[in-house]
Amino acid sequence: MRWLGGGLCVVLGLLAAPMASAQDAAQWLTRVTTAARTLNYTGIVVLRQGARLETFRLAHLEDGGQEWEKLLSLDGPAREIVRTASDVRLYLPDAKIVSIEPRTIRNVFPSLSAEQIRNLSQYYEFRSMPGERVAGHMADVVVFEPKDGLRYGHKFWSDSGTGLLLKARLVNEKGDAVEEFAFTDVTINARIDRDMVKPSWASVPGDWQVKQGGAGDVTLKDTGWFAARIPPGFAKIMEGFRKLPGRPNPIAHIVYSDGLVAISVFVEPFTVMQTQVGLTQTGGLAQFTTRSDAYLVRVMGEAPPATVRQIAQSVTRK
Amino acid sequence: MNESISRLMDGELDEAEFARCCAGLKTDEAMQTWVCYHVIGDQLRGTGGHSSRASRFAAALAKEPTVLAPAPKVHVPAQPATFAWAVAATVAAITVVGWTAYSMIDLPPDAMAKAREAATVRAAQVRPPSGVPADYLVAHQEYSLASAIQGGGSYLRAVATMPAESPRR
Repeated sequence: MRWLGGGLCVVLGLLAAPMASAQDAAQWLTRVTTAARTLNYTGIVVLRQGARLETFRLAHLEDGGQEWEKLLSLDGPAREIVRTASDVRLYLPDAKIVSIEPRTIRNVFPSLSAEQIRNLSQYYEFRSMPGERVAGHMADVVVFEPKDGLRYGHKFWSDSGTGLLLKARLVNEKGDAVEEFAFTDVTINARIDRDMVKPSWASVPGDWQVKQGGAGDVTLKDTGWFAARIPPGFAKIMEGFRKLPGRPNPIAHIVYSDGLVAISVFVEPFTVMQTQVGLTQTGGLAQFTTRSDAYLVRVMGEAPPATVRQIAQSVTRK
Repeated sequence: MNESISRLMDGELDEAEFARCCAGLKTDEAMQTWVCYHVIGDQLRGTGGHSSRASRFAAALAKEPTVLAPAPKVHVPAQPATFAWAVAATVAAITVVGWTAYSMIDLPPDAMAKAREAATVRAAQVRPPSGVPADYLVAHQEYSLASAIQGGGSYLRAVATMPAESPRR
């Protein structure tokens, strides 16, 4: 009986381990998400997508619960995103276009729900790795390893002292990095001036085209659309209509998430201008567009192309 | 099966269908359909005659015009510019998949993996990058936890995919 008891303990221990790991994962995610929102930081970020490498300057300011941030491309044509408490602005100076989308909330993840934590532990294995140095900072290293081929693996490096994410890598089922983001230089708890997070243009120049999005955020309601075949572990977390800059019609937007990544389904009336259908893959982001009668279905997410395609091809009327 | 083969060539099959279709290619009849579709595609695009097998097949087909009469569906993408991409990618894919499937009737597991890889690579190359509109991407990223933990860095992808010239409306 003793060996049986011992065996039982081992089995129970194994059963308990994923739960403990799920708590660890949730704790780590909460810490890092909070750090990204509440810290003041500035630095140079490198983004590698396949063979493409791009460099950006990033500044983030938090003051009295409000956030400002500015991301500016340093290579190639100038591109800039500035987010304030009220909107997100995309500047394309070469094309003289600014796209403004009013925003009242940002990422809908103030904390993880119990269901998200369950999903995370069911579809990913969370592991802590030995610490490493990134951009001159000691970093904690964690891995979310997928248990099937329907999602990517994630490896994260976060600043040991503050929890700020310093480096992230998306890995496909062959173990190759499909995308990597890393600070090469970062100042955390920096003194950030308001000027550092302001757009490079104090006001939009007169000869620019302004593409204005709909007021407020997405209106939550039943869109009449759904994806009939979503991969295991993904559940709907949002559904509604959205007005995007430069698009005349409200667009149905449904989001499915497995707790870590999201896959968005957009459905809008098909117009002759939107003839591009099929798969687009940019680093870790896959997009699949397809026609469904008089509608264009656009599905995108940080998931393998096959997963995104499967969802896109199953989008149908309820 | 013919429909599946056509969709396989277009990179439209999901995991399960992909496995089924590859298994189905082990029959002579399905293999003929596969080669036939590619020969037709090659001729349509004026890129035929790459391999002696394709030429022989084309010659054989020419002698028997009835083979073409049922007119298997050859999917031609709507947009000329992206069509060129699809063509280049298809040629790459057929080289590996076609050869693998044709030369080994009993597919070893790694040949299967290679075929899958080729199909994936092909699918990934079908469109040029920059096809993801930045405003959709910004709207999408709001809901990704993996983006949220990047803080300001969550817009990196959106900025990276922003086109230099005027985007489509």
